[in-house]
Amino acid sequence: MSKIEEVKVLVETGKSKKVAAAVQEALDAGDKAQDILDAMIASMGVVGDKFSSGEIFVPEMLIAAKAMSKGVEVLKPVMAGDGSSSLGTCIMGTIAGDLHDIGKNLVVMMLESAGFDMVDLGVDVPAERFVEAAKENNNVVLVACSGLLTTTMPALKEAVQTVKAALPDMKVIVGGAPVTQEYADEIGADGYAPDAGSSASKAKVIIGA
Amino acid sequence: MLTKRQNLLETIKGGEPDRFVNQYEFLELIREAPKEPFMTQKGSEIKNGWGITIRWPEGQIGSFPVHDDNHKVLKDITEWRKYVRAPAVNYPAERWTEAIAHANAVDRDEKYVTAFVTPGIFELTHYLMGMEDALMSYYEEPEAMHELIDYLTEYELQYAKQIIENLHPDALFHHDDWGSQISSFMSPETFEEFILPAYKKIYGFYKENGVEIIVHHSDSYGANLVPYMIDMGIDIWQGVMNTNNIPELIKEYGGKISFMGGIHSGEVDFPEWTPEIVMEHVEKACNECGKSYFIPNLSQGGPISSFPGVYEAASEAIDMMSKKLFK
Repeated sequence: MSKIEEVKVLVETGKSKKVAAAVQEALDAGDKAQDILDAMIASMGVVGDKFSSGEIFVPEMLIAAKAMSKGVEVLKPVMAGDGSSSLGTCIMGTIAGDLHDIGKNLVVMMLESAGFDMVDLGVDVPAERFVEAAKENNNVVLVACSGLLTTTMPALKEAVQTVKAALPDMKVIVGGAPVTQEYADEIGADGYAPDAGSSASKAKVIIGA
Repeated sequence: MLTKRQNLLETIKGGEPDRFVNQYEFLELIREAPKEPFMTQKGSEIKNGWGITIRWPEGQIGSFPVHDDNHKVLKDITEWRKYVRAPAVNYPAERWTEAIAHANAVDRDEKYVTAFVTPGIFELTHYLMGMEDALMSYYEEPEAMHELIDYLTEYELQYAKQIIENLHPDALFHHDDWGSQISSFMSPETFEEFILPAYKKIYGFYKENGVEIIVHHSDSYGANLVPYMIDMGIDIWQGVMNTNNIPELIKEYGGKISFMGGIHSGEVDFPEWTPEIVMEHVEKACNECGKSYFIPNLSQGGPISSFPGVYEAASEAIDMMSKKLFK
């Protein structure tokens, strides 16, 4: 097995304690940092697909994302100044009135793993805060809003419409247990992901990556 | 007309109930029993005997454990002994007085005197360290998690002894949420390794000591865990959401376990609810799931609703369905 293949397997299986060494060995063996990163992104794509299909569960996705972040730490100094791998910045938060953060955190990890620079606003985020953050940060290409409660769906609508009113060209993706494609269309979102596993691929489609 | 208790037994044994069991009607929850608080009043914050901070912010519909760096109790699972200290369970006799009086006042021919235990073992692991840390620890530090769960199980058994001695309950209503709306939090294999053995001990102990019915709350998906629920001694899974295929579950497992729920609280319990919306969902659940091994109920983990009137409207709708379907 090549070193890159080894890194892929370690990420997919969430071996966070072993990934850093494997990435370093791949670099030492002459593999390019970008190729190693692409391999890890591909691994997380596989992890996301397996989660969406019910083959794996939340913990496996969490430990895979943790393993990937350990690998990225090794690559960062090597790739410093090379912004070519970034898909742009994504502003993410759970909407006002909603304190649920697990699903949101999973999506942050999956989008980060796919190559987005993530700005996590946390939970209970007022609609205006999404707009402020989109203006404050560089190269923002996507706003992602999460909501878990039926009762906070009006806040999701408000968040999407506030972002769209202030930044008409900004892409917005929404998700959370009560959200459906129909509801996402109704409130003017550009896209919807039914689960964290599929969020990264949906986000990439929305921004045209 | 059967008593509530008789009607329940006919329903879960596949006999001849004369109406739907109406939500929690067969359980008399003894909420006065002393226990560590895991909820607080709206707008307030408490720290319980485990050191867990519970906060209910204004504008929210419930309280949450706080898990920022300053509040997380268990910061490193490999050093759980350093961080986790179980509170004492030997509450003084006077703390039990009110609960005992309540239990004694119940007509046990009509209803089950029911001990109410929350949170469960899985919930306690993530109350102590946060959900992400807990879920990853099952995979990354399994030995430490086994040790911690053994410790938490021993605590539960000690508390169970107190409950048995003071209340002599006929039923147990026990919370432990094991999934999201669309999947279980962990794989069936992980569940079997960590959670099943703990509950075999806990539920086994209650059943060895006079408890006839174990009702377990998990308002979630959980179809993949049902064989383990049966193995650990659960008689009724309360909170079964309609994201599970309940009619299929009844067909496959009816007689070994019964299903209480089917009415998704999120779909009927919201500010703009109407009796018509509630009726529509109750009717669908009753028609699809039938009369045996099924108890129509909001998925919420108690005889309440988040918005006033919804629970009562569901009860009325279930009575109407009983009149329609039981002749």
